[in-house]
Amino acid sequence: MPLNTRIILVVAVLTIIVIGLLAYTLYTTQKQTQQQQQIVIRFSGWGAGETEVRNYEKAIARFTEKYPNIIVKYEPISQMYHENILSSFPAGAAPDVFYVDSSWASIFIEQGVLKPIDDIEQNITLLKAQYYEFLLQPFIGSDGKLYGLPKDWSILYLAYNKQCLAQAGLTTVPGDWSGFLASLEIVTDKTGLPALVDHYHWRTFVTIALSYGAPFPDFSSEQSIKSWFNNEAVKKALRDYMDLYLNGYVRRVEAGKVPYVVLPRDVDSGWGGEAFGKQKACFTLEGSWMIPFIRDQFPNFKFGEQWDIAVLPQGPAGRITLAFTVILGINSRSSHVNEAYQFAKYIAGKEGQEFLVVKLGQTLPSVKELANHTDLWPEHRKTLEQLSKYDEVYVWPVMKSNKAGVIISTIDNILQSYVANMKETKTYDLNNLVNDLVNGIIAAIK
Amino acid sequence: MRNRKNFSFYSFFTCKKKYEFIEGMLLILPAITVLFIFGYFSFIYAFYLSFLKWNYITDPVFVGIENYVRAIDELVKGISGAPWYEVPFFMGIRNTLIYTIIVVPIQTMLAIVLAAIVSSRIKGSSVFMTSYLLPGFTCSVIIALIFIYFFGQRGFINYLLNQIMPGFGYPDWLYSKNLVIPAMAIVAIWGTSSNLAILFIASMQAVPRDIIEQARLDGAGPIRRFIHVILPMIKPTIVYAIIVGMIGALQMFDLSFVMAGPQGGVEYSGMTVVLDIYRTAFLQLNPGYASAKAVLFFVLMYIPTLIFLRKHGGGLK
Repeated sequence: MPLNTRIILVVAVLTIIVIGLLAYTLYTTQKQTQQQQQIVIRFSGWGAGETEVRNYEKAIARFTEKYPNIIVKYEPISQMYHENILSSFPAGAAPDVFYVDSSWASIFIEQGVLKPIDDIEQNITLLKAQYYEFLLQPFIGSDGKLYGLPKDWSILYLAYNKQCLAQAGLTTVPGDWSGFLASLEIVTDKTGLPALVDHYHWRTFVTIALSYGAPFPDFSSEQSIKSWFNNEAVKKALRDYMDLYLNGYVRRVEAGKVPYVVLPRDVDSGWGGEAFGKQKACFTLEGSWMIPFIRDQFPNFKFGEQWDIAVLPQGPAGRITLAFTVILGINSRSSHVNEAYQFAKYIAGKEGQEFLVVKLGQTLPSVKELANHTDLWPEHRKTLEQLSKYDEVYVWPVMKSNKAGVIISTIDNILQSYVANMKETKTYDLNNLVNDLVNGIIAAIK
Repeated sequence: MRNRKNFSFYSFFTCKKKYEFIEGMLLILPAITVLFIFGYFSFIYAFYLSFLKWNYITDPVFVGIENYVRAIDELVKGISGAPWYEVPFFMGIRNTLIYTIIVVPIQTMLAIVLAAIVSSRIKGSSVFMTSYLLPGFTCSVIIALIFIYFFGQRGFINYLLNQIMPGFGYPDWLYSKNLVIPAMAIVAIWGTSSNLAILFIASMQAVPRDIIEQARLDGAGPIRRFIHVILPMIKPTIVYAIIVGMIGALQMFDLSFVMAGPQGGVEYSGMTVVLDIYRTAFLQLNPGYASAKAVLFFVLMYIPTLIFLRKHGGGLK
């Protein structure tokens, strides 16, 4: 090989090596800079199913596109969510952003676990104005600050089977509690189907009690618990509720007739929505979560054609319903509070809810502006249209206490125990029930 | 160089007596580590927690023996007839004891009978063994979920009982305070007796044939041979099965959680001690009190187990 050719070859090889080294150095430097700029935050919620988890992953990908410097590690907890979250705090492994159910909110706020949104957001008034005001109430601390953003919400309504109503000769569902309860026997006698399926729990009981004129439940002290349960409206609501099962199930079954009120398990179902979807009962009091379930599990049971949604009956104190919501809370010990808030604001904001809530139809958007969105499912649209017909919307757990979870499970257990015993004893004692509820709650909060 | 040439792992571990201890320690180290972390450390930590008032979030506060006093008070109140919702710990202990009393003797006896059938090598015993041992390899939660349907008002159990005893009725087993523990016991016996049967099969097969042959020559029939020869020979296995069965029954959680529900069912009729400890720790956010209950339950159950072991466990040594 001639000398010139050799020199050219060596120079060419050296040039390639130098360019390669330069490119590599430049690439790694850029990557390091990018990595230094990127911040990783952890996000946890309960995974309500494979679809929801997948949808969240898609929403996170959209967020990352918009905010490339924030990497979100999604860590859904499929089982025992609250237990996992609670134990992650002493272990120092709590996520930066996580779901907080309204029944757990007060204790999380009281213990300083959540970062106040007021301390991060500069325009808090404008932010709050985007959401339904009643949904924010359970998440406002004693300092008046907001501790999270509601990611969606559900409303309690009355679902009815249109065929049942027609067979019973009714054009609409009776609009007041006394008329509604009286109509159940007629509906069953005409249709041969149990009229109402109910769990016998706090949710239905407190709704009836509040519409009967009961004060807002205050379970923060022994005295206030006793006082609430000894209120006449509460006692009347409890009597009507329990008499409904005694007369509508126990005595009807004893007389060999079809009961006009049943528990889900009485009709081989796990919950009210399932019994209603299977058309084993004509009415059920359920929340927005029932809608995607019915669409998914009972696609031939069509909304509008075979079933519809009515407002809950009203009582002497007006028409009352309940709302259920979950916030995205920011861990107060997070080292990336601002980035965590950026993510929470995106997911619980207009853009996030448009994708995760409105288009997927799981629940209702908590951002008011989205109530008129064209993609909103007709079932959800109807519940939102009915919102104005309610005199008051109370947010779950509908009580003043920082031990709501324990109290609700105690009340449900006592009510359901009385209902189960009623099947054997064929009776119940209202005063004993009131005493048991009062003493049970006092024992639970000690 | 000479020493290096002669070195081998074989000689290191086998020829030199003084290294045998190290060898043994190295072999058991992984198991010991796991045992210390998940066993003894957890136990010691739970004991430490039992003196604290804590809710996972705030700083723990030392409260001395307050949690123990409260747990003992709950037991005393329960014995004196306090309402069920005030004494979940007492209800848990009561139900767990009833469950243990039902499950342990029946599952042990059933396992011995099953093992005897399989060991007898009669026609079809291998098919029987396979079909009966199958539940032992199935997850108890899955078994419980299946049985929830069987125990429904219009479920298979009521259907079967009405076929055998017409007019039996259609009780809601899991929703009746008198039937939920028997329902859980039936599931447990069905699921665990096959596991114990494996132990008894192995134990029966280890009984020397010449002793059984000698008994046969002396004129003992199959039942007498079983009672007077085989049973005494497998006594250590029976003691072991009873102890293991008792420990398992006393620690019962999964069946009650699935069949009675996390709240313990109607009037806590399906509540067990471990379920109550779980509720106290995670639903009531009181791990200190839950730990005190756990320690107290350990002490209450350890003493009778120790007495039983001292009296009947000679053969285990």
